[in-house]
Order: sequence, then C-alpha cells, then structure tokens
Amino acid sequence: MSSASITPPPPKPPVQPKPFVIHKERTRFFGLTLDETIRAFFGGNAFMAVVVLALITIFLFREGSAFFGQNRASITLYRTAGLEYVDYMRAQQEGHTALTRYLFDIRLRAVRHLTENEALSVAEANAKLAAFDEFAGRYSDTIEPVRGFVSDLTDVAVAIKEKYTINEDAKTERAQFLATGMTAEADAVKIAEIDFKAELAPLVGVTPMYVEAANGVATAINDVLATAPALPVPSLESRMTRFKELNREYLATFPETQRKLETWDYLKPVPALDTVTGFLFGKQWLTASFWQDWYGLVPLFVGSLMVSIIALFLAVPLGVGAAIYINQFAGLREQRIIKPAIEFISAIPSVVLGFFGIAVLGQALRALSQWEALSWVPGFPFSERLNALTAGCLLALIAVPTIFTLAEDALNNVPRSFKEASFALGASRMQTILRIIVPASLSGIVSAVLLGLGRVIGETMVVLLCAGNRIAIPDFTQGFTAFVQPVHTMTGIIAQEMGEVVRGEIHYRALFMVGLVLFFIALLINFLAQKIVRKYRISIG
Amino acid sequence: MVNVSSLSNAAPMDTSSATPVSRAFKVPARATDGEKADTLIEIENFDFYYGAKQALFDINLKLDDKRVTAFIGPSGCGKSTLLRCLNRMNDLIDGTSVKRGSVKIRNIDINTRDVDPIELRKRVGMVFQKSNPFPKSIYENVIYGLRIQGETNKAKLDEVVEKSLRGAALWDEVKDRLHESGLGLSGGQQQRLCIARTIAVSPEIILMDEPCSALDPIATAKVEELIHELKKEFTIIIVTHSMQQAARCSDKTAFFYMGKLIEYADTRMIFMNPSNPQTEAYVSGRFG
Amino acid sequence: MSEPLNPFASKPSRSRAFEKVILGLFRVATYFVLLCGVIVFADIVFKGAPTVARAFKTTSTFPYVTNTFLFTAPESLYVFEHDGEKKEMGDKEYRAFREAEEAKALAAGQPAPKFKAESYVYSAGGIWPAIVGTVLLVVGSMTIALFLGVCSAIFLNEYAKDGPVVRFIRLAILNLAGVPSIVFGLFGFGMFVIFFGWNVSLMAGWFTLAFMVLPVVITASEESLKAVPKGFREGSLALGATKWQTIRKNVLPYALPGILTSSILGIARVAGETAPIMFTAAYVVRDKLPWEIEKASDFFFQGVMALPYHIYVVSSKIPQNEYTARVQYGTAFVFLGIVALIAAASIILRNKLRSRYQW
Repeated sequence: MSSASITPPPPKPPVQPKPFVIHKERTRFFGLTLDETIRAFFGGNAFMAVVVLALITIFLFREGSAFFGQNRASITLYRTAGLEYVDYMRAQQEGHTALTRYLFDIRLRAVRHLTENEALSVAEANAKLAAFDEFAGRYSDTIEPVRGFVSDLTDVAVAIKEKYTINEDAKTERAQFLATGMTAEADAVKIAEIDFKAELAPLVGVTPMYVEAANGVATAINDVLATAPALPVPSLESRMTRFKELNREYLATFPETQRKLETWDYLKPVPALDTVTGFLFGKQWLTASFWQDWYGLVPLFVGSLMVSIIALFLAVPLGVGAAIYINQFAGLREQRIIKPAIEFISAIPSVVLGFFGIAVLGQALRALSQWEALSWVPGFPFSERLNALTAGCLLALIAVPTIFTLAEDALNNVPRSFKEASFALGASRMQTILRIIVPASLSGIVSAVLLGLGRVIGETMVVLLCAGNRIAIPDFTQGFTAFVQPVHTMTGIIAQEMGEVVRGEIHYRALFMVGLVLFFIALLINFLAQKIVRKYRISIG
Repeated sequence: MVNVSSLSNAAPMDTSSATPVSRAFKVPARATDGEKADTLIEIENFDFYYGAKQALFDINLKLDDKRVTAFIGPSGCGKSTLLRCLNRMNDLIDGTSVKRGSVKIRNIDINTRDVDPIELRKRVGMVFQKSNPFPKSIYENVIYGLRIQGETNKAKLDEVVEKSLRGAALWDEVKDRLHESGLGLSGGQQQRLCIARTIAVSPEIILMDEPCSALDPIATAKVEELIHELKKEFTIIIVTHSMQQAARCSDKTAFFYMGKLIEYADTRMIFMNPSNPQTEAYVSGRFG
Repeated sequence: MSEPLNPFASKPSRSRAFEKVILGLFRVATYFVLLCGVIVFADIVFKGAPTVARAFKTTSTFPYVTNTFLFTAPESLYVFEHDGEKKEMGDKEYRAFREAEEAKALAAGQPAPKFKAESYVYSAGGIWPAIVGTVLLVVGSMTIALFLGVCSAIFLNEYAKDGPVVRFIRLAILNLAGVPSIVFGLFGFGMFVIFFGWNVSLMAGWFTLAFMVLPVVITASEESLKAVPKGFREGSLALGATKWQTIRKNVLPYALPGILTSSILGIARVAGETAPIMFTAAYVVRDKLPWEIEKASDFFFQGVMALPYHIYVVSSKIPQNEYTARVQYGTAFVFLGIVALIAAASIILRNKLRSRYQW
C-alpha cells in the first residue's frame, strides 16, 4: 500500500529553519522554579513522618527525662530521712508475718482435711487443733518486740520526711517571692535547716537495743519451734517440716540485717545508675504512698507480657489456621465472604471490646471456670472476673485480623511453581501445604505474628477495662493460676494515672518514661518484623 | 536478549556481499529518494547509562529533517533508550545519566542545564508503544497539550481539534462523538488519537516507540499510511520491531545491536545491501 | 477379588484421615473467629438497639419525631419509689417532679413528701454531645491527615527517586504505623496540650489523631497513585506538561476516588481510638455543645465529649446494674454502628472500585 502513495516530490520552498526554542526563563522563588517549589512542598510533607517520629521521641524524653533526677532525689531522701533504715527492720517483721501466714495456711488445710475427709464438724476440728492454735499464737507473738520498734521508728522517719518536704515547699515559695521581687514576703518565709544527724539520732541510737531485741526474737522463735505440737493430720507433717526449714532460713538472715543496720550511713550517696536500674528492674510500682513511692517497671511489664502471651497463644493458631484455610482450601465464594468479615472484626473499636469484656466475657469466663467438668484446666476455677485471661481473650480477637491478613499475604506470595512442583511429585494437598507452602512463607508468618504482638502490647482500652488493674507481679509459684490473676499493664497505667497526676511531678514523669519504654518496644518489634520479612524476600529469590 | 554465542553459532556470516541474499520483502521506491535533506538532529559520541550499566556506547548519528528514520534492532539493543533521549523522557527514570557526548537539535545541545525539558517536549512529541489515551473525552485528549499551555480560546481549540484529528486521519471516524471517552475507541483509533494529541501541540519532531506493536494488521496499515502523510510536516523517528514496517515507511534506517550503532544508511541500502554482516544477519531474519 | 485392580484408585489410609482432621481444624479456627466477632456484635446490637428504639418520641415541632437517646445530653438517673410505684427519671425531670409534688403537698397542707432516690451519673438522657464531638474529631483529623498523607504520597510516588532519604522516610512511615496509640496520646499531651499550650482541645485531638492515621492514609494514597497507569504520566509529559500539571490534571483525578475510599478505613480507626484523645481532646462531660461559644477561635480550643471516651467512662466509672446497662449498651451500640457502617462502606466501595477502574 505504501507504493500506492507515491506522489511527485512537492516543490520545496527554501524555508529558513524556524528557531528551535527550548530555553525558557521560569519564575523562580528562592532560586527554585515553580515545579521545584511544588516538589519541595510535597517532599516536606513526606518528611512529616520522620518529623513526627522524632517529635514523639523528643517530647517523651522532654517530659520524662527529669524522672531520673527526681527519682534520685526521692531515693536520697528515703535514705537521709531514715526510711531506708526503718525498712530494714520492717523487712524482718514482714519475713515473720509471711511465716505466720504459712502457719495459717497449714491450719486451713488441716481444717479442710478434718471436715471433709474425717467428717468432723467445724467445732470438733477446732478442738482438735487447739494445741496447734496455741503454738501458732505463741509463734506470732514472738515478733512483738520488733513490731514495737518498727511502729515507733516509722513515726520518727515520717516526721523527718514531712519536715523536709515542708522545708522544700517553703524554699520554693521563697524563691518565687524573690523572683517576683517581693523580698519582704520572702524573708517572712521561715526555713528551718534540718540537721539530719540530730534528727536521726533517735533512730540510729536504738540500733543496739534493736539488735538485742532481734536476738531475743530469734531465741524466742527457736524456743517456740522446739515445742511445736504434732499435727492431728499426718499428711500435713511435711508442711510443718518445711515450715521449720523456712524458719531456719529466716533466722539466718538476722546477722545480715544486723550488719546493715550497724553500718547504715544516711549520707551514703545514691548512685545515678540505681535510678535507671530501679526503674527498669524495680519490682514495685507504688504511688501516692505516705511512706515512699517506688516506680518499678517490672510488674507492669510482666502484666503486658502476660496478656500478650495469652492473646498470642489464642490468636496465632486461629489467625494462621484461618489464613491457611482461606488461602489454600476455601472456595472463591467462601473467600469473598470471610476475608471482609475478618477485616470487619478488626474495625470493632477496642473500647467496645473492652466494654464487652466487662459486661459479658468476664462473667462468662468465670462461670465457665467454675464448671466442674473443666476443673482440670490449669488455673480453673478462678474468682476474679477481670483478669489477665479476660483481657488476653479480647486482645486475641484484636490480633487475629492482623495476623490473618499478613499471614494470608505471605502465603499468597509463595510462588505457584512450588505448589505445582510438589503436586507433580505426588504429594497430597496437606503435605504440600505443611511441607512446602508453610515453610516457604514461614518468615512472613513469623513477622505477621510479631506485628500482631506489636498491636497487642500497645493496645490500651481493653487492658485498662478488663485486666483487673492490680499492680503486682502475679504469683508464678502457683503455676497457671498466675494467668487468671488481675494484672496491670504499661499502656493501662498510663491511661489510668495520667489524668490524676500533677504535671511536672515525679509520678507524671514516670508515666512518660513508661511511654518511652513502650515506644521503644514497639520500634523493636517493628524492626524485627521488617528484618525477618526482608530476609524472607531474599530466600524466595 | 540475543547473546553473542548464539549469534556466532547460528549464523555463519557470509561476509562477501557478492552473492545477493533473496529478500522476504521489498523496499518500495520513495518520492524523497535521492533528495538531499537537512540535518536536524546530530548525535555525537553519545554514552548513556542506567545507573552503573551502560546502555548506549558511543553513538554518532545524523538524522534528517522531514524524513522518517527507523531504529531497528533486537530487544534490549538500546533503540528505545536512544529515542527517549531525544526528548529527555529518560529523565523520569531513576539513575539515568549521560556520561559523554551530546544530542543536538538544530545545533542546540538538549542536555545542557539551561534547556527546559518541558519546552523540549513541546517541540519533540512522542507516541508510545501502548496507546495511552487519557480517560477523558476525545476532544479533551486532543487539546490536553494546549490546555496545559493555558490556551482557553474555544474557537482556536475547536480548530486545532479538527486539524489534528484530520491530520491523524481520525476526523471522519470520530467527528460525531468528540465528547465521548477516548477509551471507547478501538486500539488503532486510540493510537491515532495519541498521534492527534501529539500533533496538536505542533511539534517539529515526533518520536514513535513501536507504535504498531499492539495493533492488528489493518490498524497498522492505517498508522503507516498516516506516517507517510505526517512526514510532510514533521520529522519522524520510529522504533520498530518489524523490519517490514521499517522497510515500508522509513527513509533511513539505523541498526543497533547491544547498545551500539552498527549501521546507519538509506533504508534501501540497509535492506538490500547492508555493509555490515551483523545487519545482514538481522535483516535476513537469522537472529533477533 | 475378581475385580481388576485399578492402580489409581484412592486408597484409604491413616494419613488421609489425618489430613481430614487437620483440614477440619483449620476450618473450625476460621469459623470460630467469625463466631467470636458475631457474638460480640450480636450481644451489643441486641442489648443496645432497644435503648435507641425506645427513645423515639414525637414532638410538636418539625420533624415531629426525635430520639431522646441520640439527641440529648447525658444526665444523672434517679431511681426512687413514690406512692408505692417505682420511678426512674432524668435529672431535670426529677427536679421538676419533686417541686411539683412538694407544691402539691404544700397546697394540701400536708408535710412535704420525702424522696429517697438512688442516683446514677450519665445514666439518663442521651449521647448527643458525644456524637457531635466524635464527628468533629473525625472530620478535623481526617482533613489534616488527608492533606499531609496525600501530599506525602505524591512526593513518594511521583517525585522521589529511590535514595537514602526516601528509604529513611519509608522506614519512618512503617515504624510510625507500629507506635501504640497511647504513645500518640502521651506525645499529643506533651506537645500540643502542654508545650503549645492548647490545653485539652479539639486542635490537640485533631493533630494527635491525624499523626496517628498518617501511615494508613499515606499507604492508601500511594496504592491508589500506583494504580494510575504509567502511560497517563508519560503521555502528558511527552506533550510538554510540567510534572505538576501532569499530576494535577492527569494523575490525581484518577487516583482520588481510590484515595478517599481507602482512607475511610482510616476514619474507622480515628473514630474508634480512645487512648490518643483521653488526655488531648476528650472531656468526661461537658454541658455546652461545641458551637455554643463566645468567639470563633474558642471553637478550636475547646474540649469535646467523644463516643469512645464516653463508653470508657460509663463502663468503668459507674456501677453495672440494670439502670446503667441501658446507657452502656446503647452508647456501645450507636458507636459500633457508626464505626461498622464506615468500615463496611470502605470495604464495599473498595471492592467496587477495584472492579471498575481497569485501565
């Protein structure tokens, strides 16, 4: 057809080539053309993500960093005001209280044994235990001398602390007056310098007497133990032996306490590092106490960890199982319904789930746990409605959609050829899935689980409403019952206490430090998840 | 991709051009044959890189004004890359760079800093392999280039639309549905719409990157016919995989292989009597 | 066994049975998850819907029907016995009733009747201020987030060339997505409420929530921008359009539906989060509605009630009993309904869009 279009050459006029203009002066702002300015504008917006991340770090630090200084001051005061000294004694007293409780526990078991196994009435059982009760009474009285010391000295130490606090307040007031130029008012503020040495004299002065008293207690305990009666229930004899053993251990700590008391020095400086380790590894989170506030992360961290473990324990099999089912077995119609439905679950606001936990799930779980047929389940039955298990179950519902979606993606990314090759070798569908597809997408699944963990550990409302909010490290010696005890979490404590603290105070700062720890944990989890995913991409090739 | 070993194994070169090879196709006579044309584009010692990988090696080429030049060669030989260098579309790809040499259009080096690629692209239009009409009406598609230059005069726009669509031999087919979506056209019509869109901004040069590779033979014929018409007004550079197409519509042909310009001559020469054995092997269908 | 042996016949074996069991387990897991979701949903719908349904009242003015639960402010609930009848009244109604009774007694020359009422805070009236507050929070924060997010996505997808800076930005976005919401709350409190001195306000809440959903919006926007074919950009640029002209005229218009649709999921997230607004924007109770202000600038610096926070308050700060359960379930129902509608809209629209736009 092209040959048909031959035309005689057109007469060619001698045209001057027209100017080929490809230069153009564009309007410039600060040396940038309009387009470059727009680009810079968008770039600035994109940089926002970096800025926000930096700002989060900065502001958490800004509000939280003063915590360590304040905490150090607080601990220093704890020492200089003699609170620490009294606490040494108190520890001794509490050791004894714990042992008394042990005795009481033995009695409880004995009564149960007598009434249930030997079908005695309560009165008869009590009668049988009269000798034991007399012994327990004498045992619990042995500590009285120490108790007297502790209660007296507590008052002394608190008075010193009080005095110091009042003085500090006066100093601030005076500084404020001076700052505003009101010298007359400033002078009117009375500041009595505290002579700690003199104030502490009544404390330190009693050391020899106390040591004597403590030794007396030790002798008394040994005397009482020597007259321990035989139990009416032979099966509890082993516990009694254990009790005596515990007593020996307890008495062995006496010389150490004595040494601590004698060498105690109110001026011994508190190392700066102690405040950091005290925060990260402290086992007590105790606030608004008349005695001494402690900010230890461990109970909160353990609480967060426990609910997360429960949640993942439930969510991983469910999420991954559902992902495998949907990806490998379900028909197209089933997929089309279930995938959006699970996505939909992720849209349920956590506060609604928390409310559901309070209103329904907590009681339902408790009722379930008290069902006879399930009493073999570790930890069952339990009596607390709101506990780590309740929160963990709800968190599982939050984590499942995350894990499901990401795991499904990972499964989807396995090349078809892997599957086909396996089928061609005569493997069954399940063999293919378990031996080829799941291993090939394993790192994707692991990172899905990690991101689910991130989701769970950062979740606030559910744990705030359903975890029971008791700030204590659960008692792991009882095995699985630890998981049905109320706990408090890092997210929960921030949400709960932030509204009630005074801005700038140590408690306020401590909450920001918890936030910072949470932030870094989240970053760490994210980092690990990304690292695993990246590795996985390479392995697929 | 062709590798050298397969080339040497499969095609023992017949270096003596004494025995003419029988051709599967003919190179038709051209009205412009033998006429001398002005040089419009001059490419000198041109090296081009994608990141660290060199894509073009020392290209020297002079392209004629108001002629059709075809770039041929096996896939990955750099012909499309060179084409995209002519209106700096490669700027949009990360990591590309001109390391040496120059491309001059009317003696202006287009790779210098003071050249505005936007203005350059208004002068050097481009038609892509896959027709890419915008999801707008046919009318809006054609005037898009003018719109962004700020033209709002309705009469002028109408005139340009008719002129461009006529120029792209599409007017009669679409004049009754100018305001329907351009996506509703057939593949060949879409590609001619893209050509119309390109000539609407009245460039001097039109680059065509395998414009017919996605079209059926009838649509291809129409586009080729159009190319003949267009070369009266425009300089056309066309990249093609089809040697028949190059033979049918180009005045001159450049053969590229592995980023190098192997041979550049009149189309008739390239197809009837190539001087380079590799060209010979390629045009006779022994590889590629 | 005279039948010819078919070598391809399926052989029952233990491994086959094992496979069936495993498959069954997977299926059970899937449906168990769905069941849990359904149970939560059903519980709240069945117990909450009556609260809303019962609250429809006719009025004398247009539109002649109103819902006292949806459109009034929360009040205390008083439960008392009067003339041997058990009565429940909201705060205002109770006071009026008491005065009327006392006046009646006084007129009859009798001693004033004694009222012994138990009161439950927030358990009467409705949740109108909380609904308004939530809507305001969502609208404001999504506006900010969409602006920032779309701009970031345009940069990342259209302008940026792969390099250390862009990789760093992407890393930051990825990490931002994993930051717990309570940390955003703390950050918003430290930065907006304290450092900027905005106090507990809409503004502080907007920015906190906006930063929180930013990664969602950026990811959604980038996906939508990626879905616009490369040809649109090249075609436009080859015609001599500038980059910005290309984006504005030939990319954004086609990406926008997708951006908005996927961002609806962000809306569900913003509406559903409690932790970030606890210390930045939410009040436990506020009598005034947000538009009852003295000067316009006050609008931005006022705290509001919000549905999620209200649920937290009514479910943790008041006792659980038959009187309070109504408002608890009612609020949860309304809130869940709103969020579910948003999420469902997002999922449905996204699926529709996927099938519609195929260039």
